[in-house]
This record gives sequence, structure tokens and C-alpha cells, in this order.
Amino acid sequence: MKEFSYVITDEIGIHARPAGMLVKEAKKYESKIVLTKDGKSAEATKLMAIMSLGVKCGETVQVTIEGADEEAACEEMTAFFKENL
Amino acid sequence: MKDKIFGVLQRVGRSFMLPIAILPVAGLLLGIGSSFTNETTIATYGLGKVLGDGTILHALLVIMNKVGSAVFDNLPLIFAVGVAIGMAKKEKEVAALSSVIAYFVMNTAINAMLSLNGQILENGEIAKDVLEGTITSSCGIQTLQMGVFGGIIVGLGVAALHNRFYKIVLPNALSFFGGTRFVPIISTVVYMFVGIGMYFIWPVVQNGIYALGGLVTGSGYVGTLIFGLIKRALIPFGLHHVFYMPFWQTAVGGTMEVAGQMVQGGQNIFFAQLADSANVAHFSADATRYFSGEFIFMMFGLPGAALAMYRCAKPEKKKAAGGLLLSASLACMMTGITEPIEFSFLFVAPALFVVQVILAGSAYMIAHMLNIAVGLTFSGGFLDFFLFGILQGNEKTSWMMVIPVGIIYFFLYYFIFKFMIKKFNFKTPGREDDDTETKLYTKADVNARKQGNVTDSDKNTKEDEISVMITRGLGGKKNISDVDCCATRLRCTVHQADLINDALLKSTGASGVVHKGQGVQVIYGPQVTVIKSNLEDYLENAPEEEEIPVAKETAAEETKEAEKEETKQTKVVKTITISSPFKGTAADLSTAPDEAFAGRMMGDGAVVTPEDSVVRAPEDGEVCFVFETKHAVGFMTDSGISLLIHVGIDTVKLNGEGFEVLVENGQKVKKGEPLLKLDLDYLKNNAPSTVTPILCTELEDNQKIRLLKEGDIQAGEALFAVDIYE
Repeated sequence: MKEFSYVITDEIGIHARPAGMLVKEAKKYESKIVLTKDGKSAEATKLMAIMSLGVKCGETVQVTIEGADEEAACEEMTAFFKENL
Repeated sequence: MKDKIFGVLQRVGRSFMLPIAILPVAGLLLGIGSSFTNETTIATYGLGKVLGDGTILHALLVIMNKVGSAVFDNLPLIFAVGVAIGMAKKEKEVAALSSVIAYFVMNTAINAMLSLNGQILENGEIAKDVLEGTITSSCGIQTLQMGVFGGIIVGLGVAALHNRFYKIVLPNALSFFGGTRFVPIISTVVYMFVGIGMYFIWPVVQNGIYALGGLVTGSGYVGTLIFGLIKRALIPFGLHHVFYMPFWQTAVGGTMEVAGQMVQGGQNIFFAQLADSANVAHFSADATRYFSGEFIFMMFGLPGAALAMYRCAKPEKKKAAGGLLLSASLACMMTGITEPIEFSFLFVAPALFVVQVILAGSAYMIAHMLNIAVGLTFSGGFLDFFLFGILQGNEKTSWMMVIPVGIIYFFLYYFIFKFMIKKFNFKTPGREDDDTETKLYTKADVNARKQGNVTDSDKNTKEDEISVMITRGLGGKKNISDVDCCATRLRCTVHQADLINDALLKSTGASGVVHKGQGVQVIYGPQVTVIKSNLEDYLENAPEEEEIPVAKETAAEETKEAEKEETKQTKVVKTITISSPFKGTAADLSTAPDEAFAGRMMGDGAVVTPEDSVVRAPEDGEVCFVFETKHAVGFMTDSGISLLIHVGIDTVKLNGEGFEVLVENGQKVKKGEPLLKLDLDYLKNNAPSTVTPILCTELEDNQKIRLLKEGDIQAGEALFAVDIYE
């Protein structure tokens, strides 16, 4: 299992559009990717779940990745978060 | 080539079924009419007061007698029309009209030829040197005696002309006479020449037929045996109608003078004698030898076989097998329809069928030897036995002999079947291995389901279910060229014989499937007419692939093999509609002025531009969340669809300004309940667009969106549908 945390820098938070992009990205991997914020978790492939986390700018999300391609997924996801969120 | 001939013969055979179907009724009228106007019968039973000459009942019975005779007298014309209808592929009514015209034209042409050549004299009498019985009157036209053959020649020929020409396109000036109107025209011209030709050809054929008839008659009991064996052996191929019809209806089956008229064909002779029964001492067993034996094995023999199968059934399956065999036996005993019993063992134990052919074939001969002369209209069941045997009196029919012989046959069938089933362990009904899915099981299953569902709507869907399965079994609607049936089997022609799935067809309750080339026969039993009608109705209204464009496109690309699979996969099993959350203008999602939405990155759905300031619940469901910025609502419908209603584009940047939230996260709402209140003026002035995407965010691969409304839409009006495929 791989894991990283990230502080959202995008000023409007993980909103519909970024959430959509995140889901698209997460679906590329076999591994299960889970976002956690304040004890609430959401699978990264589920758009509704992610949006209902209500992640805003300046908040920290915990990302856990588990599965066959977790190494690659972790690397790519870290880059994705930095670039887009 | 062989397969093609089989296909044509099969269609000819089934086209006989419509005219044949009238025979029992005509026979009933004739049988009752002649029995109770018979002076001897009236005197014997002392019914003079009720039925004697001059009573109303007597008049009615005389009428019934004549009406019944009318059908038998005009069978050639009835066959002409019936065969034309049966063989025409489309626009059958035109073929029917054309065949009537052709029949008159042909016979009139023959009549003219006979007059011109002096065989018919000017005063309408027949010249002395003409062979007795070769000229007869048909519908008032004196013509060559062609019997039912004449009708069949007309029916087949007209149908061929019809199938060839009913879509013909003529030059503009003549276009009125094109298409179906051309068929009666061409039929008239062609049959004028056919009539002329027949004048020369038919006497030769007639001599041939007389010779053949003489041979069969002359061969005596052996001839009867051979006839019986062939007729019974043809049953599995469904070609027996083609075989026996000439013997029953034409000079092949012999000729006899009855009441001063030359009558041809075994059945015709019997009914002519019946109409004239006052002057007949004993009906001719030479005429009835083509059918009198049927009473022996239909009323007695085959039920014995059924009892043997029942006794050999496994104890736990006796009840189910008993039901099947009892109903099959009753059909056989009462109406003489033998296929349900025969097919219960034919496919699982062909050896038993050989026994049946030999026993049944010999029954014809034995009836002939014993001078049994019981007539029938259609088959040898009790109804015909009662009318044409018992009612006519033993001295005329020797019907009593049927009973002792029948009892012997009953035991012969019973013991031979029982012995062979046990010895060779034949899997007759009720003896199937448990692990294999058996015919009986599925048949009983289908019946049980039919009976269990009394309500109409349920019944309809069950019937459709069978039709759907038959359609699939035949390789899909596209593969079916035509559908018809005879007494017990569904007869279809398909384009690709290799698409047929026998197992699937059997699971619809069929006891067997026979195919030869492109012809397919699925054997169901007497209820086949209902199955056929249902299937036709279903095929007519069957969901055309157009309804599901996705299916059509892909299906067109698929190979034939995959076609069956394809129809299964693309069937919509459920559709959920999603309604608009407000009044406004609906459009396709791709028109959204935002790449992420228009590109369906977040999901698929539609857009509505609001004209109303209240966002309402589009369906019953639960509010999953409302964004803190209040501009979007996550919604889960009770039907399980996750929706995102995103009011306006880039409205996240307004930070909640212009929105008022009326619900809480997790709140259950009914369709139409308010969720958000909008300040439309503010939104229009401060956001790039008020176009509101309504999306399904979590679509599965088998779920597809179909837009239901474009343009003006009301709150609560259906916006799009989610089709869930199998």
C-alpha cells in the first residue's frame, strides 16, 4: 500500500470539474485509490463521493493507493495532484 | 436440390390444410343430415313423428345434407383457392381472387375445346363415344373430370404467377394495371392456354391415373398394406397429406358409379354413397380402405402405447408423464390427431416408431379384409367413428368389427411397447435421466407456467416469451422467411439453416424439430395454431432494431453467428427516466458551453437553461450533498441513479452568492420538492452561463442515456432516459 498527503492549493477546492478529472485519472489504474479528509473517505473513481467530501482550498487530503500497479499509480497521482489541485 | 423439393412439398402440404379443415364440418353436416333422413334409421328407431317427411326437422336435416354435399362437390374449386392462398407469399387475397378466375377460365377453355371437337354436342349432351366419367360438370361447366388435381393445378400455378408478378412495374401508360392488379390478368391469359393444353394432355394423364388406380385396386390387400405403411412412415416428414390426398380425392384411389354418377377417390365415393345411403346395401370397403383402418390404431392401438409408456415411467415422474400421455391419448382417440403420441416416442426411440408404422400399416389392410367401411372426414377419431360408423348401422359399415380388432391392437401395442421400452431402456416420457433437461420437463414447465398465470397481462407476456424464444431459436426475426403451420407443427422457412437452435426450440414445449435445407418443422401438437398466431403477432410487433439504434449499428457489423448473441445483449431490460428540475430549455449535453461538461468528462446527461428560480427534485430520492458554494447538488434517485445538478457554468466562483439552499445533506425528498432557490438575474449577470448540466455521474457500461426532450420543458417533465441493457 502506498500513501501520500496533499494540501489543496486550488482556490476553489475539489469541485465538479477537478473531481471529474481526478476520477478520469484514477480510473486508469487497477489499484484502489481512496481519498480521506477529516475521517471521511471516498473512492477516487466515484465522482459523487469525492464531491461530497467537500474538499476546499488549504485542506489536507490523505491519498491511499493499494493494488498491483500501486507504485506507478502513486507516482502519477502525486504529479496529478500537484499540477491540478 | 433434394432439400429444395422438400421445401416446396412441405409448403404444398401445408397449403392443403386450409381446405382440409373444412372437411370435418362438411362431413358433420352430411353425416348428421344423411343419417337422420335415412328412412331405415327413422323406421328402426320409431322417429317418424319427429323426423318423418314433412317435419321441420326433416327439412333442416335435408338442407344440412345438401350443404355438406356442396362442399364435397366443389372441392376442386375450394382446393384451387386454398392452395393459392397457402402458396402465395404476400397479398394472399389477390392470389385467391385470381385462382377463382383461373379456375373458371381453365374449365371454360376445356369446355370450348370439347364442344369444338364434338365431344360435347350442341344440345349440351356428352357424345356417346366419350369414355364414361371422363367429362363431368364443375360449377355448371361441363369439363374434363380432373378432380382435386384440377384445383391443385390452378392453385399452384396461380400462386407461382402471383409470387412472380405481384410487384411488377408496368410502363406509365399502363401503370393502373401494374402490381397486384396484373395477377388476375396474367392468370386469365395463362389459364386460357392451360385449359387448351389440358384438353390434349389430361386424357393421357387420366389414363395414367386410371391405370395407377387400377393397379392399387387390383393389388388388393397388399396394395392397402403398402398404402398404410407409406402413409404412416411419412408422418415425421409431414408429407403424408401430399401422399394420401390423391387416394382420397382422385381416381388414383379408384372410381365407382354411385347414384348414376362416376365418383373418384376413396373419400368421395364414401360420401357419395352416404348421400345415397338408401340405395346402398354396404358401403364399399374398397373405397374406405385408405382410412377405415385408422380407427383401429387411433382409438385403440396408440392409447395402448401411451399406457405402456405411462407404466414404464419412473414412479416420481408418473404424474407428469401421465398428464402428458393422457391428454395426447384423448386427442388421438377423440379427434384422430396422432402426432402428440407419436412424437412422444419418435425422437427418443425411432425403433418404436418402426413398430408403430408396421402395426398401423397393417391395420389398414385388416380393416379392408374384414370389409369394414367406416368413413371419415379428417382422421380416425371417435367423433367420425360415431357419425360414419355407428350411426350408419353395422349392416352398412361393419363398425362392430373395429372393436374386437381394436382391443387386440390395444394389447399388441401395449405389450410390444412395454417390452421394447424395458428391454432397450428407451427414454420415453417419464424415463429421462435426471441430470439431463428433458422435453417432458420443459414441456410441463411451459404448460405449468401458462396455467399458473391467469391474469391477461401476465398471460400475454408469457406467450410473448415463448414467441421470443421461438424467434431466437429460429435465428432471429431477420432469419425467418415465412411461418405457417399444419395440424401439429409449426412450419417455417429460414434464410440460414445453420442459425437454428434446436435445444432452444425444444425448450418452448416442442416435442421435436425436423429440418431439411431451409425448411424447419417444430412439432408442438394441436395447440400449434395458437402458437403460430402468437408468433405472427409477435413478429409483426417485435421491436424492430431501429428502436435501439445502438443495436442496429453494431448488429449490422456483426457476423451472422453473433447475431443471436447481439439481440440478447442489446435488449433494454429497464429504463429509468430523469425529469427536469425546473422550467426552461432542454438540450443535448454536448451543447454545454464548457469543455469538461460537453466532453462528458463528469458523466452523461442533458442540459437545461432555467427560466424558473426554484430547483426542484427531479425524481424521488435523497440529497447526497450540497456544495458549500451552493451551486451544485448531488442527488441519488430511489431508482439508484447518481445525479449531479450543476446550476450554471463556473458558478463555483460566486461563492454561494445568488443561491439559497432549501434542503440538508442526506434529506429524503419527493419529486418536485424545492432544493435550491436561485437569483436568476444575479446569475445571468455574474456567471458565464446559467446552462445547467444534469448528469449521471456513475454510469455502468450497460447503461446508456437517451435524450427525451429538446426545447421548452416544464419542471417535472421527462428530460432523459437511462436505458439499462441486459
